[in-house]
Amino acid sequence: MQSNRLGWILLAPTLTILFFFGVLPFIYVVYVSFHSWNPFAANPEMIFNGADNFRRIVFDEEFLNSVGVTVMFVFFAVLSELILGYILAQAFMKDFPGKSFFRTIHTLPLIMAPIIVGSVWKLMTTPSIGIIPHYLDEWFGISMNIGTSAFAAFTTIVIMDIWHWTPLVTLTLIAALVSLPPDPFEQAQIDGANKRQIFWHITLPMIAPAVVATVFIRLMDALRTVDEVWMLTGGGPGSSTRFVGVHIFKEVFPKTNYGYGSTISVIVLYLTIVACWLLYVTMLAPRNSKEG
Amino acid sequence: MRFALTIGASALAFTIAATSAFAGSNDDWWKKAAEPYQGVTLRGVTESSPPSLYIREVLAPQFEELTGIRVDVETTSWDQMFDKAIKDMEAGTGIYDMVYIEQDIIYSYLARDFLTNLTGLIADNPDLKAPTYSEDNFTTFADYFKDGDGNLYGVPMEAFIKVYLYRTDLFNDPEIQAAFKEKTGKDLKPATTHADYAEIAQFFTDYGKENDMKLWGTTAQAHTGHVASWYEYFESVAPTFGVYNWGIDADNNYAASVANGGSMNSEEAKEAMNWWLSMRDIAPPESNASTWTEVGTTFGAGRAAQGLVYGENAGWIAADKTKSLVVGKVGVALPPLADGVLAEAESGEGYIGYYDGGAFGLPSTSKQKEAAALFLQYIGQDEVQPDWAVAAPRVTNKSTYDDPKVQAMNEELGGYYDMLKDKGYLFAGAPAYPFHAQVREATAPTFYKILTGDLSVSDGLDQMATIAEEELTNLGYRK
Amino acid sequence: MRKQSPIVGIIFWTVVSTLTLFPIYWLFVISVKPAVQLFSTPDVILSDPFWGNYAKVWGDRLLRSYMLNSVIISTGNAILCTILGFFACYALSRFKMSGKESIFFWTITNRMAPPAVFLLPLFLLMTQVYTIGEWRLLDTQIGMILVYCTFNLPFAIWTLRPTVDGIPKELDEAAFVDGASSWKVITEIVFPLCRPGLAVTLILTWVFAWNEYLLAATLTNFNARTLTTGLSEYVTTTGTEWGIMATISVFTLIPALIVFGLVQKHIVAGLTFGAVKG
Repeated sequence: MQSNRLGWILLAPTLTILFFFGVLPFIYVVYVSFHSWNPFAANPEMIFNGADNFRRIVFDEEFLNSVGVTVMFVFFAVLSELILGYILAQAFMKDFPGKSFFRTIHTLPLIMAPIIVGSVWKLMTTPSIGIIPHYLDEWFGISMNIGTSAFAAFTTIVIMDIWHWTPLVTLTLIAALVSLPPDPFEQAQIDGANKRQIFWHITLPMIAPAVVATVFIRLMDALRTVDEVWMLTGGGPGSSTRFVGVHIFKEVFPKTNYGYGSTISVIVLYLTIVACWLLYVTMLAPRNSKEG
Repeated sequence: MRFALTIGASALAFTIAATSAFAGSNDDWWKKAAEPYQGVTLRGVTESSPPSLYIREVLAPQFEELTGIRVDVETTSWDQMFDKAIKDMEAGTGIYDMVYIEQDIIYSYLARDFLTNLTGLIADNPDLKAPTYSEDNFTTFADYFKDGDGNLYGVPMEAFIKVYLYRTDLFNDPEIQAAFKEKTGKDLKPATTHADYAEIAQFFTDYGKENDMKLWGTTAQAHTGHVASWYEYFESVAPTFGVYNWGIDADNNYAASVANGGSMNSEEAKEAMNWWLSMRDIAPPESNASTWTEVGTTFGAGRAAQGLVYGENAGWIAADKTKSLVVGKVGVALPPLADGVLAEAESGEGYIGYYDGGAFGLPSTSKQKEAAALFLQYIGQDEVQPDWAVAAPRVTNKSTYDDPKVQAMNEELGGYYDMLKDKGYLFAGAPAYPFHAQVREATAPTFYKILTGDLSVSDGLDQMATIAEEELTNLGYRK
Repeated sequence: MRKQSPIVGIIFWTVVSTLTLFPIYWLFVISVKPAVQLFSTPDVILSDPFWGNYAKVWGDRLLRSYMLNSVIISTGNAILCTILGFFACYALSRFKMSGKESIFFWTITNRMAPPAVFLLPLFLLMTQVYTIGEWRLLDTQIGMILVYCTFNLPFAIWTLRPTVDGIPKELDEAAFVDGASSWKVITEIVFPLCRPGLAVTLILTWVFAWNEYLLAATLTNFNARTLTTGLSEYVTTTGTEWGIMATISVFTLIPALIVFGLVQKHIVAGLTFGAVKG
């Protein structure tokens, strides 16, 4: 058996890098979050104000609204991506002519930077000029205006996100599916299990760790979405697509409200950790501790 | 086309311009003045607008060839530029020797002593004073970059006014004129009042519908999630109704609400908002998602008969065939005004629109101030201006207007430079607030809700005035 | 499902691919349209392409250096994260270290942080703390490679963990019995078996680094600027240069495609290693 020292040595580079580039900045942000600090206030210094920022956040309507729309966005986007991604991953497990070609096509959206994605979708959905509103109007008589309709803007962003990130889910699920051992499936078929039974009792439990890991990644990235929304709607119409990422961005960049912006970030980070922890504990941890 | 209006279109033109660098008689002075700074590299950060790109592609290489001082200019987007400059100056890192200062940030920088007093720096170092540079050469726009004592903190490099742009081909079409006369009983000519403007706008929107044309009567910079709409209202619409400085009274404890002595929610402000929203409703559908960029594109695509358009865009709309379908069909006029506003603007009490632009400033944290001062003087000379104005329409020095190249361009731009020269004084830069972006961002979400109809004009402006006062109290400006 | 006719499959894949490709096709259409046509009525079919944007972008020396920076930073970061992530996963999988589940969960929290506010401390650290004499970490390729670890290393650890856990421990133990060193077991036995997972991790970390914008925009100035920051230069107050932006985007697809081509082979190799019949 190998000694634990080797384990720590293998972990050391990871922990070191994350300490210097993750933990130290985090400590700084937590420190700032207890201060009122705007370099363009009458007093530009950092002033300690205890838990004032945290008290203020509870009544901050803009912030609470942004949490609400973010949760909705994450729910619709991630759930759709997971379902679509799984269907596609399963479809890619079969052999068919031109499979590698289609797989390459399917991964293309991933290599587009979010700001490019935002730009293209903006051009495609510009009211009355973009190709999507144009043909929706011409063919179906539907008028779509992401500048006035909160529903249109929100839906566009969800669809854009699904388009952009489903390939990531597909790829990670393919990787999970290909490394499954074939024996249990053969055994189940011999035992006469139907497809649904195989899915719920064999496939799903076996790929659960990968599914949860993927959901985590998508969840976190969706929560941080800024660039695409920034390009597409800027958070509008009104505050209907002002996700927390966008909200924080506006608070910290143009408004230079470093103190309160840090508080919001700490809270958002905390909420994210709690949500993920719950997900993790309920779905994965029992399994890992059983095996480890 | 003679005018290379964008860097993209004119990489070649710049190479030519660079090789034909003006052969000044003062070359020797520059060489001598730069002697102590050999091997120095100056770094600047700016927005990637055509005037800035001209600095990077033309003036910086020229300057390096002449003096041996290297100049690196980082061009980036509007949001990023301020953030990077602020972080550098706040932390005192000294990365940048030159920062772009726009009207909306200058007073914040001055309040924090982020910038070097150029007048003082040059006065204290007579060896640095270039014979061809003088602050007297600048137009009045430079005054917006001065402190109370008249010291200059930035060398102007961009200057525009937001003008009333109209389509001369439509306004001068006899058939359209007759139809307009029949409908309204008036002659079709650029509006001087809001009612006239609205009438013309309605006429053309109807005209477009009746003739199945993609034509509307006005533009509207009415994005529902981008501060461009906020700016159009406060800088370009509200002043024409007599609401100045965002309706905030700096001399009265920064009051914004009528109750406390401000005018952000005054009757005039509400009238202005109602008028503007009614214009937006008959503007092209994309107006709800339009920033200044899209307003320019809308006008350039021939989709609007008239509108308020930033001068920097008026340039390419009027003259750049690669981007605009209405080249040579554009006229400029003063924005429509409410009664008494013109008189207030002439007496200096008010203004009729936005005088926009920016300057290059020297951060206090720079470690190479002397060398940077040389470069700033270099780009402030009269001699470099005409070619620059042609490459990127902007005029910052008085003598530039008289240059034959610029005069020729004035023709193409429908008399835009004449208006800048003769009527520029009626326009004003941003109010002298060190809290510009803070109050803007605090009130913007409510403003967007007025645009989407979630709030009525009256309630929305009332709330905005309250929020503005709260924010000013939080920031410590309002006591 | 297995016995469906190939036509259903072909229709299915054609529809999916069309939906996937359309925005990319549209990007291409924008890149070959003169600016003056952008706000005219859209046509799905491309006619009379205009190649001016391509000539401009190709001739831009700054963009070429941005491209090089992007390639170096994303490749360096992807390799670093994949290798370190693999080591970390091996440690988490094979050793009974106290608190390892907490460490595992903690790593991922680094990716959750909303980046906007973390830029300031990173900027301060990289200009005032992580310096050697005059040299500072800000605006360097190595600096960006390390900063990108904050979101890519957690990702690598999370995607690799199931893969490494899935390699039976009996394989390691058998090798130890044969007298192999730990290093040899890790690099020559476990590592090759994890190939599909490693390939996916490599691709995706590369993609995340390649596409990152906000951190690069703030933490680079002149020397380490990446393509995404170059793109934002075309969003200006005088009009977004959609054509140029789209052209650059098309150019960014090329290196990405090469990386995909190289790495996908390993996923395919993995397919034969443990194929499941659906």
